Amino acid sequence: MAVNDHWSSTVPPPLRGSDRNARMARLLTAARDGGEEAMGQIVADLSPLLWQVARAAGLSSGDAEDVLQTVWVRLLSHLDGIHTSAALTAWLVTTTRREAWRVRAVSRRQFPADQDWLTAVPDPAPDSEERAIARDQRRTLWAALSQLSPRCQELLRIVAFVARPDYATVAAALGIPRGSVGPTRGRCLAKLRALLPGDPEGSLP
Amino acid sequence: MNPPDAAGHPAAGGPLDDVDLAILDDIREVFQAADPMPADLPERIRFSLALRDLEVEVARLAADEDQPLLATRGEEQSRTVTFDSDSLTIMIRIDSNTDGTARVDGWLAPAQHRRMEIKTAAGSLTTTADEQGRFSFRRVPRGTAQLVVRPAGEGPGGSGRSVVTPALIL
Repeated sequence: MAVNDHWSSTVPPPLRGSDRNARMARLLTAARDGGEEAMGQIVADLSPLLWQVARAAGLSSGDAEDVLQTVWVRLLSHLDGIHTSAALTAWLVTTTRREAWRVRAVSRRQFPADQDWLTAVPDPAPDSEERAIARDQRRTLWAALSQLSPRCQELLRIVAFVARPDYATVAAALGIPRGSVGPTRGRCLAKLRALLPGDPEGSLP
Repeated sequence: MNPPDAAGHPAAGGPLDDVDLAILDDIREVFQAADPMPADLPERIRFSLALRDLEVEVARLAADEDQPLLATRGEEQSRTVTFDSDSLTIMIRIDSNTDGTARVDGWLAPAQHRRMEIKTAAGSLTTTADEQGRFSFRRVPRGTAQLVVRPAGEGPGGSGRSVVTPALIL
């Protein structure tokens, strides 16, 4: 599936890289020793994921910002027990999710639920055939996602932002079982693949 | 290895394959476009974390603030922002100086003598709040800033914990 090739060039590069674990372990060590620069790099690296976690839980933008600030401050007192990139990501994701639920429970008393992000599919500027193709592909994926259960939508949205090396640990923390040879695709991704037109299995270049 | 189900779809228990990874990439890009994190959020978080004094009380934007987001990001010439903490309410008014810096005037309630600090990317400025709780920073560089209210002095007379506000954009 070559969908990626058509899509925006403004998106960060795929979250791959075998030296990520070593880099994050180094940053964690430096951050434990009070390195503000190292902590800043960790914040920059993982906040986009946590933003999606908070928003997928149904928080407003303002509440999501508050939750992220709270979670990062709380991490400071937990740094001593966290030594790997995967453990850090799993801790941040589960803490953000829990804090988001707490905040949502409070704000739901004042505002109706806001879970209509699926209707907000953005249109790229219609200025080229390439963009039109991208828009169609995006719509197709969006339509398939919207047929999944809210829980599956949330899980896929979260794990899509998790760096590959951390995927198995975070997926396990979110309740996606780990297979004997590594991370499994899980029920939600299997369902999504069944919904995508002409399951792309076998059509890889 | 888990075989595909009867309809030929890959099984849930199967290992992640390249198609799965490509789909996850696509999902990420959809949400990156539809609901991106505010670009300045990591900067504001870093700013808050730089203050590692865990003895502080963190003030929040007052609940009755009409437009909390605008209050921290607005671009109007003059604006007022109120922060609440357990022990203190901090009201500030931010005005533009002609030289491009910001002027910050504020009041503490209940009124009390305190040492005041405003942290900016360019460094910290200090002043004091008088017995009426009034304080003023005449020239504050534009950008991210955070207010810190410290005890007025050592000993019993310098009672009260430090209070910090969330980072705001001047």
